[in-house]
Amino acid sequence: MRQLFLRETDAIRARRHPWALAGLWGWQSALAVTVSWPAASLVGATYGTHPRGDGPLWDAGGHALLDFVWHQARGLAPMRASTEIALGVAAMIGLVPMAAVMIAMAYGVRDRRAVGLVRSLEGAARAMPSLLWLLLLMGVAEASTLGVGALIAAGTHAGLSDAWGEARAERVAIAVGLVFVVLASGLGVVHDLARAAVVCARAKGLRAIVLGARVFGRAPLPMWWAWAWRALSALAPVLAAAAVATRIGGRGGGALVVLALLHQGVVLSRVALHASWLAHALRSVELP
Amino acid sequence: MIAAVRRAPYSALLFALVMPGTTPVRAANPAARALDDAALPPHAEDVVDYTLRATLDPPTHVVHGEGTIAWRNTSGVPTRELWLHLYLNAFKNDSSTFLRERVGGRGSVPPEDWGWVDVRKLALRDPGGSPIDLWSTAELHRPGDPDETDVRVPLPREVAPGDRILLDIVFDDKLPIVVERTGYRDSFYMVGQWFPKIARLERDGRWAHFAFHHLSEFYADFGTYDVTIDVPEQFAVGATGPLVASRLADRRRIERHVQRDVHDFAWTAWDQYRTLREAIDGVDVTLLFPPGYERVARREMAAVRFALPYYSARYGRYPYDVLTVVHPPEDAQEAGGMEYPTLITGDGPWWGPAGERMPEMVTVHELGHQWFYGMVATDEHSWPLLDEGINQFAEVDAMAKWRGDGSLVDFSGLLLSDAAVQAVGGNMGVHDEPVAQAADAFSTGGSYERLVYARTAAVVGTLARVYGDEPVSRALGNYARRYRFQHPGPEELIGAFRDVMGDRAAASLRTALFDKGWVDYVVDGVWTHEAEREAGVFDHDGKREKIEPGPSRAGGWDSSVLVRRRGTLSFPVDVELTFADGSTRRERWDGDGDWKRWTWHGQVALRTAVADPGDRVLVDMNLGNNHGAAPGAGAWAPRTFERATYWMQLAVQAVSP
Repeated sequence: MRQLFLRETDAIRARRHPWALAGLWGWQSALAVTVSWPAASLVGATYGTHPRGDGPLWDAGGHALLDFVWHQARGLAPMRASTEIALGVAAMIGLVPMAAVMIAMAYGVRDRRAVGLVRSLEGAARAMPSLLWLLLLMGVAEASTLGVGALIAAGTHAGLSDAWGEARAERVAIAVGLVFVVLASGLGVVHDLARAAVVCARAKGLRAIVLGARVFGRAPLPMWWAWAWRALSALAPVLAAAAVATRIGGRGGGALVVLALLHQGVVLSRVALHASWLAHALRSVELP
Repeated sequence: MIAAVRRAPYSALLFALVMPGTTPVRAANPAARALDDAALPPHAEDVVDYTLRATLDPPTHVVHGEGTIAWRNTSGVPTRELWLHLYLNAFKNDSSTFLRERVGGRGSVPPEDWGWVDVRKLALRDPGGSPIDLWSTAELHRPGDPDETDVRVPLPREVAPGDRILLDIVFDDKLPIVVERTGYRDSFYMVGQWFPKIARLERDGRWAHFAFHHLSEFYADFGTYDVTIDVPEQFAVGATGPLVASRLADRRRIERHVQRDVHDFAWTAWDQYRTLREAIDGVDVTLLFPPGYERVARREMAAVRFALPYYSARYGRYPYDVLTVVHPPEDAQEAGGMEYPTLITGDGPWWGPAGERMPEMVTVHELGHQWFYGMVATDEHSWPLLDEGINQFAEVDAMAKWRGDGSLVDFSGLLLSDAAVQAVGGNMGVHDEPVAQAADAFSTGGSYERLVYARTAAVVGTLARVYGDEPVSRALGNYARRYRFQHPGPEELIGAFRDVMGDRAAASLRTALFDKGWVDYVVDGVWTHEAEREAGVFDHDGKREKIEPGPSRAGGWDSSVLVRRRGTLSFPVDVELTFADGSTRRERWDGDGDWKRWTWHGQVALRTAVADPGDRVLVDMNLGNNHGAAPGAGAWAPRTFERATYWMQLAVQAVSP
């Protein structure tokens, strides 16, 4: 990272790097388009000659949609496979744009200008081995926590259902499961702090995790809440957009344009909230 | 049949009298009036009366039963035998017909605990004489067939038409863990098909008896059930018919339920039940549900609040004073989604979102059975479509009237209708086997569901959309009223449609149900080009003139559309044409013939054509070929691209670090 300097802690803000956020949005959108394009082409081949285009597929009631899915089941199967592959790629390769955004937020060049795209990506590529190692280790830890939680929740349900009734036992089991979800999310927060340590403190391996855990341990609840409120806030625009989509239904033209803009606004707002959290993580780690 | 002729529309009777010996070809008869509730018989013919006492022993999961059966020969011929259904023996061992078949669908999981019924005593009580044992000579199964659900009982003397006999009976039910609607789970009991039940003797002297097949349901005569249920005092009880007496004695709860005009009796007991009660349309409705299911119970009560008066208006007044809705606990789901006279069972998890309509749909469905299974009382074994199929249409119709396009799912922008699901489901199986066949003739449970339920509902739904909701409502309403307590067959159903809607609709119904009828409307071509003058060599006034091809002086466009009808069903359809200037025009095709071409000249080019733009033909096999465009029209799916991209972006965000 020669010729780059770490910004002052207070200067690490997502809102100061709109192009980095746009880049993250662009990466996610590009991946999404590679999957959605074949699906749209398949629909277009069948409904492109309808005067309303693919409008009938989105009509209330779903008759045309169900009919289409039935007739195109064989064509949709490979699309499902390609979707799974794309999501697998997103989980792994997605570390690069994430790290690039973190570098863009954490570093500047000597004349106080922002780090460019190429140099951000170079830095992200250098950090990849450590980030992948973290992903493996912390991913196993988070999955194990969720797995143990599921087992304990199932045991709780089985143990209580006779005495308390099924519904009450299931509610208790869900509460128990939620405890483990919160614990796993806490590990996720440590994971992100460790990522910040990799990017900013050039920490590697266990040291990154120790750094992340130490930061988290100093104020676990405020740190978790800093992640949680952003994660919860990111749900709100999705629900709001779903309500609007319900009203728009299968309409095209201007209504579709409005819906598309709204949807991209939702995606961008979620990108911004995620970047905001990453900036918070960067500000929280002890920089060298 | 006698009752059917007596209640046939007056105009049809008049026609038959005027034209004896002919086969009248009846057209739609708009004057075929809707029968009202004044035409309803006050009671069913009382054929068989059961007076039973059932004592539950929870530690052994045994119901001890004893009492009397009074049976009358209402056929036209004497009989020397009785046929008894011992349905519970379906779960006795793997040799039963039910467990041998296991063709998929409900009840395919092996029983976790066996169940059976042991008849301890069956005796004929002769006036003035001592009881005559009948059980020792009973034939529990047929030679070479170990199934014990269909028992022949020879009688020591003939029972003449109109004669009545009285039987003493004692039996013990060992209940299975809940399987195929009946049994126990811990202290929960759903007790259905639990007593030795006399098969129905048809008018012609033929016993309608059958083994309990995997996909079969039931068929029996009407009568009065007087059942005393004896359970531990901490148990709450729900049962067919109103509670007429209740007392506690020796730490036992003893309840007596009596109901006339029914053909079965089921009951439930559990020490965990919660209760919700409400008077709806003059009926005392009781909901029994597990702790924690209050929200689901309220949703089910709302469904009854809508459907009970709706069905009463459409298919004739609900004649009973009570209705009990039982919501089984989650680990006894096999007991859910079933109908018995005045008692139905619901389904659905306590946590289900409001937009997922399963509790409502199951309740509306099972309630509809009170009319078609309960009162019309068709032979569910021989003609399952007459109950499950017609009732499936009743459910789809009621849910659509109540919940609109989101009648099945209304969740986060996705609105799925019950009608759409039945339409596509029915199309999936249409070429495999006919709808109108006996339950045991179906190859698989999936085929049974697709055809009996979905296909029948989609076919009747298509008639309603093509010919109008009112005539279908009138035809089914007349059918349900005219044949209340009459056990009609498929001909009576088709006849009811013919009376109101005419020969063509009735023929479509018959073809769809009996002959695997199907239809697919296809826009096979859309052509448009600038109008050209007529070219060639022409002789005018003795002179020969050669005209070269070229544009017409008048200008304009020549357009044509070809629409095909594939398959064996035909319905009239609209064809909507859209022109380059955005204007539209509708053409009507009566659906006769294999194809129809429209050709015309106009000032605007034709762009697209859509067959059945109103989505009236629910049974259309492929909606993807119902439209076509002139060459050059676009082939793009912007809505799909937009939404698929958005959802994929959210998915990428969910998995991305």
